[in-house]
Amino acid sequence: MSTKSTAHRTAWSRPSTAWLLIVPFLAGMAFLLFVPAAANLGYAFTDHVGFGRPAFIGLGNFRRLWSDPFFLASLRASLAFVLIAVPLRLLAASGLGIALARPVRSNRWRRILVYLPTVMPEITLSLVFLWLFNPLYGPINGLLGALGLPEPVWFASGWGARWAIIVMMVFPIGEAFLVVMAARRDLPGELYEAASVDGASSWQMLTKITLPSLAPLLLLLAVRDTILSLQVNFVPAYLLTDGKPANATLFVPVYIYDQAFEFLGFGYGAAITVLLLAVTTSLVTVQLVLGWRWYRRRA
Amino acid sequence: MQGSNLRPPPCKGGALPTELTAREGRAYGRVPSAAVNRPTATAGRLLTAGCALLFAAPAVLMVLGSLRGRGLPPPRGLEIVPAAPTFSAYEAVLTLLPWTTYLRNSLVVVAVAVPLTVLVAATAGWGIRLLPRRAKHGVVTIAFLALLVPVTAVWATRFELFRLVGAVDTFVPLVALALLGTSPFYVLVYVWAFHRLPEEQYQAAAVDGAGPLRTLWSIALPQVRPITLAVVVLAFAFHWSNFLDPLLYLNTPSRFTAPLGLRLLQQLNPTDWPLLMAGAVMLAVPAVAVFLLGQRVFLHDPLHVLEDR
Amino acid sequence: MRRWPIATVLVALLLAACGSPGGAPASGAQTDLQLLLFGGPDEVAGYQAMTAEFEGANPDVRVTVTPVANQDDLLAKLATSFAAGSPPEVFLINFRKYGQFAAQGVLRPVQDYLDASDVLSEDDFVSAPLETFRFDGERLTCQPQNVSSLVVYYNFDLFEERDVPLPDDGWTWDAFLAAATALTGDGTYGLGTEPLLIRLAPFVWSNGGEVTDDQVAPGTLTLDEGPAREALDFFLDLSLEHGVVPPDVEEQSENAEARFMRGGLGMYLNSRKSVPNLRGIEGFRWDVAPLPVAPGGTPATILHSDAYCISEGTGKEDTAWRLIEFAMSTHGQELLAESGRTVPSRVDVLASDVFLEPDLPPASAFVFADNAQIARATPHTSKWLQVENAADDILEAMFYGRIDREEGMRRLVSDTAPLFGSGG
Repeated sequence: MSTKSTAHRTAWSRPSTAWLLIVPFLAGMAFLLFVPAAANLGYAFTDHVGFGRPAFIGLGNFRRLWSDPFFLASLRASLAFVLIAVPLRLLAASGLGIALARPVRSNRWRRILVYLPTVMPEITLSLVFLWLFNPLYGPINGLLGALGLPEPVWFASGWGARWAIIVMMVFPIGEAFLVVMAARRDLPGELYEAASVDGASSWQMLTKITLPSLAPLLLLLAVRDTILSLQVNFVPAYLLTDGKPANATLFVPVYIYDQAFEFLGFGYGAAITVLLLAVTTSLVTVQLVLGWRWYRRRA
Repeated sequence: MQGSNLRPPPCKGGALPTELTAREGRAYGRVPSAAVNRPTATAGRLLTAGCALLFAAPAVLMVLGSLRGRGLPPPRGLEIVPAAPTFSAYEAVLTLLPWTTYLRNSLVVVAVAVPLTVLVAATAGWGIRLLPRRAKHGVVTIAFLALLVPVTAVWATRFELFRLVGAVDTFVPLVALALLGTSPFYVLVYVWAFHRLPEEQYQAAAVDGAGPLRTLWSIALPQVRPITLAVVVLAFAFHWSNFLDPLLYLNTPSRFTAPLGLRLLQQLNPTDWPLLMAGAVMLAVPAVAVFLLGQRVFLHDPLHVLEDR
Repeated sequence: MRRWPIATVLVALLLAACGSPGGAPASGAQTDLQLLLFGGPDEVAGYQAMTAEFEGANPDVRVTVTPVANQDDLLAKLATSFAAGSPPEVFLINFRKYGQFAAQGVLRPVQDYLDASDVLSEDDFVSAPLETFRFDGERLTCQPQNVSSLVVYYNFDLFEERDVPLPDDGWTWDAFLAAATALTGDGTYGLGTEPLLIRLAPFVWSNGGEVTDDQVAPGTLTLDEGPAREALDFFLDLSLEHGVVPPDVEEQSENAEARFMRGGLGMYLNSRKSVPNLRGIEGFRWDVAPLPVAPGGTPATILHSDAYCISEGTGKEDTAWRLIEFAMSTHGQELLAESGRTVPSRVDVLASDVFLEPDLPPASAFVFADNAQIARATPHTSKWLQVENAADDILEAMFYGRIDREEGMRRLVSDTAPLFGSGG
C-alpha cells in the first residue's frame, strides 16, 4: 500500500528519531542496572568483604555454595514459594482485573479495595498478617476453630510459615491487577458485540475473546511475578520469620542480605546472586518458550 | 479520520464526558439484556464484592488498630473494633518524630520521580514501537534481560557508583531510577499498549507533518490512559514506600523519607501496636489518594452510559 | 510538551545541588563528622543533645547524627558505605558485630588516643567491656559506651500475692525453679525467655562449663557434654519438663516482653534494653534481680556492650576521637544515662544517682552495676555471629519440643562446625 511506503520515507519515522526517544531509557539501564550488575558478577569470583583489595579466588565461592546447606535450604524455600504463590497471585490479579474493569459505579469502590493492600507499606502488611495468623488470638484460627477445623501454630512449622507468607503475598497484587484492568479496558468492544449477537455466553466470551487477547500481557505478568517472587521476596520473610523456622522461609534474597550485609560476605553474596540469576533465567525461559508455543498454536 | 484532529475529551474535575473516547467505551459493547444470564451475573457480582471486601480487611484492621489506646498490644480474639477509639496514637507519632519533614521529603522525591517515570517510559515505549523490526526485538530483549537483573546484584555496586559522582546523602539516587522508567516492566507495558494502536493513525499524522513526539502526545497517549494510570499509581507506590534506598543513601535525618520514619517508630516499641498502625496509616493515605485521583483523571468512567448490571 | 523535560531536569539538578555535600558554604577549617548509631527516638534525642553540646564547645566541628532503627539496618548501611569507601567517621556498634570490621583492619584503635588523653583514662571504665573490645587481645579497638548484662526482671506484686520468697543475691537454681513453679498457673507462667544462646550462656558458665572450646579462637560448640550439658538440660527442662515457660503456641501468640508487661509472667530474662519499655507498666510493681547461681557454682552473667568505633582512612580520625572523648566524659555519659536505656561504662556515672535513679524503676539498678564486675562475653571473632544464628535456630526447636533433644544436641555441634572456619 502506497501510504505505508510513503510513511516510511517521511522524516520523522526514520529509525534515528526513534532511537533518540529511547536513549534516556538505555542510558538508565546501562548505568543503573548493567554496569553495577557486571561489577557484581566480577565480585562473585573474589573474596570481597567490602573493603581492602578483593583477591581473585576463581570458583571458590561457587564450590562453597555447592556444599552450603543453608543455600540449598534457601533455594528450596524460594522455589516452593514461586511454584505456589505466582499462579495464585496471577489468578487473583487477572480474575479481579477482568471482573472489575467494567466501567460501572460499584466497581469504583471495589477497585480501591482490591488495591488497598498494595498501597500499605510492606512493614504494615506484615504486622497485620502476623496478628491475623496469631495462633490463639488471630481471626484466621478463630474462624478455623469455629468451623471445627484444626488450628495450626502457623510460624512454628516450616510449611505453616510458608503458607502464611504465601497467603499474605496474594493480597498485594495491585500492580498486576491494574495492568490487567487497564488492558481489558483497552480491548475493542466490537468483538464482544459480535459474539453476543452470535449467542455466546459470558464464559465463552471470557475464554475465547478476553483471555486470548490478553495472553501476551498475562505472560509478561507471569514472568514479572516470577522474577519478583524469586528476587525481591525479602521484606515479609525478613520481618515475619527471619528465615525461620529451620530456614523454611529463608528465601534466597534474605540469605543474600544476611551474607552480604550481616556477615560482610560480599563476594559470596555476589556468587549467590549469580546463581539466583541463573535459576530465574531458566524458569523465565521455560515460561516464555511454553507461552510462545501456545500462542503460535492458537494463531 | 484525520489523526491530528483526534483529541482527548476535556475532563473538567468531575464532569463526565457525554461521549466516550474513541477507544474506551467500546471495550464494553452493547450486549442485549436477554443474553445476560441473571443468576450467574448476580453470583459473579457477589463473588467479586466478597473478594473486594476480603482485600480490604488488612487495611481496615490497620485503621482500626491505629485508633486503639496508646501502648496496648494487638487485639485479642474478636475485639476488633476498639472500645474507646482515640487519636492519641496519631498525636504521639507527630510528637515523637518530625513526621511532617519526612512526608515532605517523600513528596519531593515522588514529585520528581513519577512524572519522570511516565515521561521516560512512554517515550521509550513509543520509540521502541517505531523501531524497525529487528532493532525492536533487540531492545525488547535487552529490556527483558534488565528485568532479570536481581536487585541484590546492584544494592552495593550502585552505591559505589553514586558515591563516585558524589550523590550520597542526596535525593538523586532515589530519583535516578525514574531514568529507566522505574522499571523496564513499565516500558514493556507501554510497548504492548502502543502496539495495539493501528498504524494508520500515526501514519496519517505523519502525512500531516506531525513529529513523533507530537504524535505521542496527541494521539497515542490519550488512547492508553488506563495504562498511564497504572504506571503513575504503581510508580508512586514504589517510590513512596521505598525504604532500602533511603536507608542506604541518606545520612542527614532532616532528609529522611517517611518509610525510614516508620522503621524508626518500629524500633520504639514493637508492642505499641496503635503507634505503628497510626504511622502506617499516615504512610498509606497519600498512595490511596493518588489512586483515587488517578482513577478520576485517567479513567473517567462514563457512569451513566452503561447500566449497572 | 517541550517544557516538561526541561522542567524536570532543572528540578532534579536543583535537588542535587541543594543536597550535595558541597552545598553548604565551607568555612575553611570546619570538619564534618558523621555519627552512625541505632536507637529509638528518646535515645537519639539524647545523642543529639550530646553532640549539640560538643559542637558548642568545638565550633570547628559539625556533627551529623544518623540514626537507624536497629542493628540489622546499621550493618547494611555500614557494609555498603565501607564497600564504597565512604564510611561514617564514628559509629556505635554491638560487640558481637564489631569483629568482622576489626578483622579487616578498617578500624583505628583507640588505645593510643586513650593513653594520650587528658580527659579520660582506662581506669575510668569498667574492665569487662574493655576486654571484649580488644580485638587482638592487647590494644583497645573501640571505646565501650555501655555495659549491660542479663538480669531477671520480676513481678514484685505477683511474688507477694503467691507468697513466693523474693529473689536475692546468690539465689540458687533450685530456688529459681521453685519460684517459677509456684508462679505458674491461674493464667500466669513463672518465666519468660527467648531460647537463645546468649540467654543460655550464663547458665553454662555458672555451672562451670564453657560454650566453646576456646574463647579466642573457637573451633566448636561444647554444649553437648559435661557441665555445659547439665546447664543446657536445666534450661530445656524449664520448658519440656516443668512447663514454667509459655509453650510454643502461647509464645507465638504473645511474646515474653508483652506478656510480662500485662502481668502474665512472674519473671522475664533480658538485658537493660527492656527498661524504657517496662517503665510504661502501670498495673504492678517490678524490679530486677541477678541471675540464679548453679548448685556449687559461681554467679555469672553475660555481657552486652556497644562501643564507639573510629573508621580508618577517613582522614578525620583525630577529630573523631575528640567527639568520643567528649561523649565518654562524665558529663557526656550523664546526658545519655537519662534515657534509661543504657548502663554507663564509666565507673563514676555507674555509681551516681543519675544512673541509679531511685524514683524510676528498677529500684535495684545496682544489680546492673554489680553485674558489670562479673559479666563475661561470648567470643568476638568475625564468624561468631553466624554460629550464634545457627545455634539459636536449633535451640528454639529443642526448647519448644519441635525436635528431639538428642537430635538437637547432635545438630548443635554438627550444624555449626562448618561455620567456625568458613571461607575468608
